[in-house]
Amino acid sequence: MTGSLIKLEGISKTFQRDSNAIMALSPTDLSIERGDFVAFVGPSGCGKSTILNMVAGLLRPSEGRLFYGGAPVDDLNLHVGYMTQKDTLLPWRTVTDNIGSPLELACRKTPKTERMDKIRQMIDLVGLGGFEKHYPGELSGGMRRRVALARMLIYNPDTLLMDEPFGALDAQLKLVMHDEIQRIVGIGQKTVLFVTHDLGEAIALADRVVVFSSRPGRIKVIRSVDLPRPRDVFRIRFAPRFTELHEELWDQLKDEVKKGVDT
Amino acid sequence: MTLATRDSEDRIILAAALARTDLRPATRMQWLRELFARPAGRLAGQIAIVALLLAIWQFGSGRFLPHVWVSSPSAIFARLISWFVDGSIWIHLAATLSAAASGYVIGSVAGIASGLALGLSPRLERILSPFVTALYSLPKVALAPFFVIFLGIGVESKIALVAVTVYFLLLYNTLDGLHDLERSWASAYRIMGARQQEIIRHVLLPGVMPWIFSGLRIAVRYAFTAAVLGELIAGNEGIGFLIENSAGNYNSAGIFAGVFVLVICSVTATQIIARAEKAVLHWRT
Repeated sequence: MTGSLIKLEGISKTFQRDSNAIMALSPTDLSIERGDFVAFVGPSGCGKSTILNMVAGLLRPSEGRLFYGGAPVDDLNLHVGYMTQKDTLLPWRTVTDNIGSPLELACRKTPKTERMDKIRQMIDLVGLGGFEKHYPGELSGGMRRRVALARMLIYNPDTLLMDEPFGALDAQLKLVMHDEIQRIVGIGQKTVLFVTHDLGEAIALADRVVVFSSRPGRIKVIRSVDLPRPRDVFRIRFAPRFTELHEELWDQLKDEVKKGVDT
Repeated sequence: MTLATRDSEDRIILAAALARTDLRPATRMQWLRELFARPAGRLAGQIAIVALLLAIWQFGSGRFLPHVWVSSPSAIFARLISWFVDGSIWIHLAATLSAAASGYVIGSVAGIASGLALGLSPRLERILSPFVTALYSLPKVALAPFFVIFLGIGVESKIALVAVTVYFLLLYNTLDGLHDLERSWASAYRIMGARQQEIIRHVLLPGVMPWIFSGLRIAVRYAFTAAVLGELIAGNEGIGFLIENSAGNYNSAGIFAGVFVLVICSVTATQIIARAEKAVLHWRT
C-alpha cells in the first residue's frame, strides 16, 4: 500500500486518429486519498474524462502507472461506480429493475430477497418511493438521475466516478441534486472524482479542485476548498470565501477556456 | 417535491390552453373547429372528404374525365362485387397473400438472424460488410427476371423476391439497432462489470426489439409491393396478375378494384404488426 487510494504516476494518454497522434493528457501525477471529493475542471478535450476512464480500467495509460488501492489497474476496476451525463437506464425495465441490475451480474450475484431489500433501501435513499413500477420514460430528468445514482450506489463501490452527471439538468434542479449528493454520498465515506465544466459546482461540492490546461491536458493548479462542511449548497454562493475561491480559480481557468475555443 | 412540480406543470399547461381558447376570436367557423376537435367529428369529416371525392369522380367520369381511363366508383364497386360473388377473387387473393406472407416470414427470420450474427460478432461484420452493402444497394426488382428463370413463374419466384426484399430491411434494422445499443447502454453495463454474454442477454437482445419491430412494420408494405411486382412480371394468378390482365383488356375498373384490394390487405397487415409492436413494447410511452 502506498497510502493513497488512487495514485497517478506520470500517466499520459495519446490517441491515434487517422495517421495523427493526438496527445489528450500529458504526463500527470496526482494522489487521491480515501474519502476525498476531487473535482476536475478544464476546457473540453483536456483529458479529464480520460483520467476517469483510466481509473475505471476502460483505457490504459500510454505512459506511466496508475494504482488503485496499491495495485496497478490493468483490468476493469470493479471497485468504482461510474455515472455520466448520458442517460443509460434501460427504458424497457422499471425503476426497481434498473436499480437492481448490477446485482444480477455474475460479478456481484445477489440472491433475490437480498436484492429486493437493497433496492428498497436505495429507493428510500434517493426518494423515489411510489415510482418503483414506473419506466424511465415516465420519469422527469431529475428523477432519472436519481435512479442512475441509486443504480451506481447499490453495489456500494468505494469510489464514484462522475462525469458531468448533472450537466443536462437546469440550474435549480442541479442545486437540488448537489444537496442530495452531499447527503447520499456521505462526504468522507466515498471517494469521488467529479468532472464538470461548472466551476461553481466544483467549489460547492469538492474538497479539492483540480484545474486542467487545454489540450494536451496537464494539471495547472490544485486548490483545497476550505469551506466548512456540511455546506448549504443553496446559499454557499453568497459566502465571501466562495467568491474568493471562484475568482481565483476562474482566473486560472479563463485563459485555458479561451485557448480551447481558439483551436 | 417532484410530484408537486409535475402537478404545477400540469396546471400551467392547462392555464395556457385555456388562455389560448380565450384569445381566439369567435368566428363563424367556430362550430366546425369544435366538431373536428372530437374524434367522432374528425371521422365524420374524413368520411365527408372521401364521399366528396367519390361523388366528383362518379359525376365527372364520362363527362370531363374519360371513362376508359378513370372508370368510375360504381363500376369499380360492381367489379369488386362480381369478383366476390363468383369467387374468382379468392384464387388471386390466396396467391398474393401466400407469396407475400411466406416471403415475409422467411425474409424476416433470416434477416433478423443475419443482423444478430453480424451485430454480435464484429469480426464477422468486418469481413462481410462490403458484400452486404453491395447487395443492399442493388435494386431487388432487378433480380425478378433471374428468379423467374431460376424458379419458374409459379409462387416460388414471388416468394424469393419478397424474401430478398424483406431480408435486407430486417438485416439492416437489426444491425443498426445493435450498433446504437453498443454505443449507449452496452458500455454502461460493461462498466458495471457485465461480461459479454450478460450484455447480450440483458441489453442487446431486449434492446434491439424496437428496431426489429419497426423493420417488421415497414417490411409489410415492401412484401406486398414485391409480391405484386413478381406477379406483374410473370405469372398466371395473384392480384398483380389480375391488375395486369385488366390493363391488357383496357379494363380500368379491374385495375382500380385490384389496387383497392391490395391497399386493404397491406393496411390490415400493417395494423396487425403495429398492434403486436404496441403489446410487446408496452414500456414505450
